[in-house]
Amino acid sequence: MTDIHLTATQSTPSVSAIQTAPNGGGGLLEMRGDSYPENSFEFFTPIFNWVEAFLAGPEASLRVELHLLYLNTSSVKAMMDIFDVIEEAFEEGKQVSVKWFYDTDNERIAELAEEFKEDCTFPFEINQLA
Amino acid sequence: MLSNNFSNPLMDHSDLYLLRETYNQKRLLLCFNGPFSQGLIEEIGVALKTHLQSDSVSSAAASDVFATYIELTQNIRNYAKKHNLTEADEAGATVVIGRNENGRHVLLAGNVVEPDDGKALQTRITELAGLDKVQLKAAYKEQLRKSRGDDDSGAGLGLIDIARKANEPFSCSLLPVNSGNQLFFSLKVVI
Repeated sequence: MTDIHLTATQSTPSVSAIQTAPNGGGGLLEMRGDSYPENSFEFFTPIFNWVEAFLAGPEASLRVELHLLYLNTSSVKAMMDIFDVIEEAFEEGKQVSVKWFYDTDNERIAELAEEFKEDCTFPFEINQLA
Repeated sequence: MLSNNFSNPLMDHSDLYLLRETYNQKRLLLCFNGPFSQGLIEEIGVALKTHLQSDSVSSAAASDVFATYIELTQNIRNYAKKHNLTEADEAGATVVIGRNENGRHVLLAGNVVEPDDGKALQTRITELAGLDKVQLKAAYKEQLRKSRGDDDSGAGLGLIDIARKANEPFSCSLLPVNSGNQLFFSLKVVI
């Protein structure tokens, strides 16, 4: 499988999905920016497929680092699907974690992250940036 | 005494003057009427964000106004795509954003819908308008879990999201257009 590298647009975040991350090995999924594309299903399906395929590997470990600012509701649904796959992998004993970083004055995204965290049992940190 | 010059289909000075009066009285920030594209939604979104930054608005309120604007406009886009609407009137939207006397932002968005769709929307909106914060959060989580597919635009989740961000119960209106064959549906949200 190939890695994913997408540049950000006005309404979609930058995405990098790397199978062998430089620091500490394992996989790394990083997303930064806003997400409100016209067709979130079209945008997120390749990312979802990558995460699912990657986590199917027996020794797979995945770190997810999110610097997302705003998600429209269809992006929220898509992220929920990705978190569900990560949750399944966690329940199978795989090493997974999510870190969500937000700016001090963006309380809404912090609240959204908290709501996602409520439905996950894997390590999920929500970190305020200075 | 100026009045609407409906006998003359072309815009004239008096029309512009009356529009200005309306915009000022209603404290309108942004208005749009016509066919919509994702690109236009984004461009107007940028103008809205700039407005919100310069306007002594809390960052939470600014986030909520922008989010509501996106959900409203994308719902209209999705409706048009789902029904393969191409005519300017049917695939278009009328959107206004203003502020009320309390400084709260008011968003109104409307589009032409089939009567059955309009009535279903009205029922759903009345339902949601009667829920409290706790119930709305539960409804949101439940809707989030409903089966997803590539033709699921998520309009259901969008309406709940808008209801959660609204400062007071939202309301809608249905008015006949096209000789009563269709309805103009509009939703009003106060943030």
